[in-house]
Amino acid sequence: MKVTRVLVANRGEIAVRIIRACQSLGIETVAAVSAADRESLAAKMANRVVCIGPPRSSDSYLKTGTLVAAAHGMGCDALHPGYGFLSERAELAQACVDNKITFIGPSADNITHMGDKLAARKIAAGCGVPTVPGSDHARNPREAEAQADKIGYPVLLKASAGGGGRGIKLVLNAAEMQTTFSTAAAEARAAFGNDTLYMERYVGNARHVEVQVLGDGYGNVIHLGERDCSLQRRHQKIVEEAPAYAVSQDVRAKICNAAAALARSIGYQNAGTVEFIFDNDTNEFYFLEMNTRIQVEHPVTEMITGVDLVAQQLRIARGEPLPFKQADIRFSGHAIECRVNAESPQHGFRPCPGRIARWQTPEGAGIRVDSHCYSGYFVPPFYDSLLAKLIVHGEDRSQATTRTKQALASFQVSGIDTGIPFLQTVIDDADYLNGKVNTRWLEKKLENYTAYHTA
Amino acid sequence: MELSEDDVLHILKLIDESKFDYFQLEVGELKITVSKGEPFPLASSPRSAAVSPPAAVEPPKPSPAAPPPAQQSAAARADARAAAEGLLPIVAPLLGTFYVAPEPGAPPFVQLGAAITEDTTVGLIEVMKVFNSVRSSVKGTVVEVVAQNGQFVEFGETLFLVKP
Repeated sequence: MKVTRVLVANRGEIAVRIIRACQSLGIETVAAVSAADRESLAAKMANRVVCIGPPRSSDSYLKTGTLVAAAHGMGCDALHPGYGFLSERAELAQACVDNKITFIGPSADNITHMGDKLAARKIAAGCGVPTVPGSDHARNPREAEAQADKIGYPVLLKASAGGGGRGIKLVLNAAEMQTTFSTAAAEARAAFGNDTLYMERYVGNARHVEVQVLGDGYGNVIHLGERDCSLQRRHQKIVEEAPAYAVSQDVRAKICNAAAALARSIGYQNAGTVEFIFDNDTNEFYFLEMNTRIQVEHPVTEMITGVDLVAQQLRIARGEPLPFKQADIRFSGHAIECRVNAESPQHGFRPCPGRIARWQTPEGAGIRVDSHCYSGYFVPPFYDSLLAKLIVHGEDRSQATTRTKQALASFQVSGIDTGIPFLQTVIDDADYLNGKVNTRWLEKKLENYTAYHTA
Repeated sequence: MELSEDDVLHILKLIDESKFDYFQLEVGELKITVSKGEPFPLASSPRSAAVSPPAAVEPPKPSPAAPPPAQQSAAARADARAAAEGLLPIVAPLLGTFYVAPEPGAPPFVQLGAAITEDTTVGLIEVMKVFNSVRSSVKGTVVEVVAQNGQFVEFGETLFLVKP
């Protein structure tokens, strides 16, 4: 499996991140860009650039055939899908195999196994990983009602083809089941082309804890500790940390071992993340889903382990065994990532594309910024609004939060609005500093912020 | 494989005396890249990205060989000519392999000097064995065929120049 020239089949900060990792290993890069991204930082940094289509991602970054043809045409022997877009489509991984291109990620089988969320639940349960009390495939509202009675309300109706926070509906009581079921099924059919639904008990006071895993082609699977990603808005993570500071050492070890066991059981190759929910009230943890790709928040794990995860992805893809064993992984200090989005907190967080007049990122001990932006860069309106990830490392959580506060204060962006002012109020919040949060906390914080700032 | 300085100088001399513009040797970890004339483009504009045409029949194998620089500027040169002479470009509506004819051996859809309208089919672009016809979208006379048969073209790359 040769990896000497990589087609970077993504955009934004992760394209830049992939190019940097390739450069560190002496691997050539070809940036696959839409017409809107010709002037992007990734395009400037890559050895070569190929324009794959018009701005709309459905005509460019989401076209499997075009990406494979681009890899061929540019003489690439490998393709990195990044996150989002086609990164978790087994179809792309398979098309790469069929065309003798090394897919930098897990096998098509790995992706298929974990992409069906109901099947993934069964695999997890099969290897002794706790899953949220719930149901099998619920075929109709009547069946769902009978199952929900056993699970206990409230329940979450989930689309088996969903994931990443998509295709989930809360059902508070039996009276709501009929309508919610029909809507959820219709939406799942429209969004994923598959209306298979199942249920899980709703855990109201939960934290989101996920585990980074790495597997090579020789059966070695290890974990690199966990992350707490409880601060979410509409199921999108905003602030992520490592380690999961609010969970006891003992439970964290159990969660991490469960994740590695699950990944091992499916012969997982490359980087992946196993997501869990942790019940604050009972201290139980449950498997949620597995993401078969590099994740946005991977840097917090890199900061406390010193492992370059994207470089490891490339090494694994070119057939190298993992250079370390589980016992070699050491954790040091605490890391926090804040996602800086192009949005206007003063105007109900509406997206805010446009030309960046001034872009000055913070610097200092323990500070890292992963971004594709620069002064004069035009943020196109076609894609997600992530501008930068501010990642801060400290000896402990207290130092990390203090440094994050300082870093946010010296992060200077003009020309467009960003979520920085809101992030500042989050990092300064007593509940946050004391770790008294759950997955619903940020939504409430946001409501208060919006009410106060738009009044 | 160990290479001495003398070996490298010898290679350079051989290439210098040859008619090759570009040479790349890769043996395991070792990699030598030599080019004559224009430096090989590193960070580049999309225009300079076109790569040597893949074989027309078989799906091309990924080749680490780099593109000959000559072809890279063909599209750029055509764009410059279009601007200078007021010509209209017909550009690739998608990325893929460009074909001038409906099948190997058949006459091309359009030739130099052909009069075309907006609806004239001027070529095919193949992506993963799916052939898409390329419509002219401009009216006039074909004054330059820029893209070669079987050439890999990126989205928006100039294929023909048309005099309106």
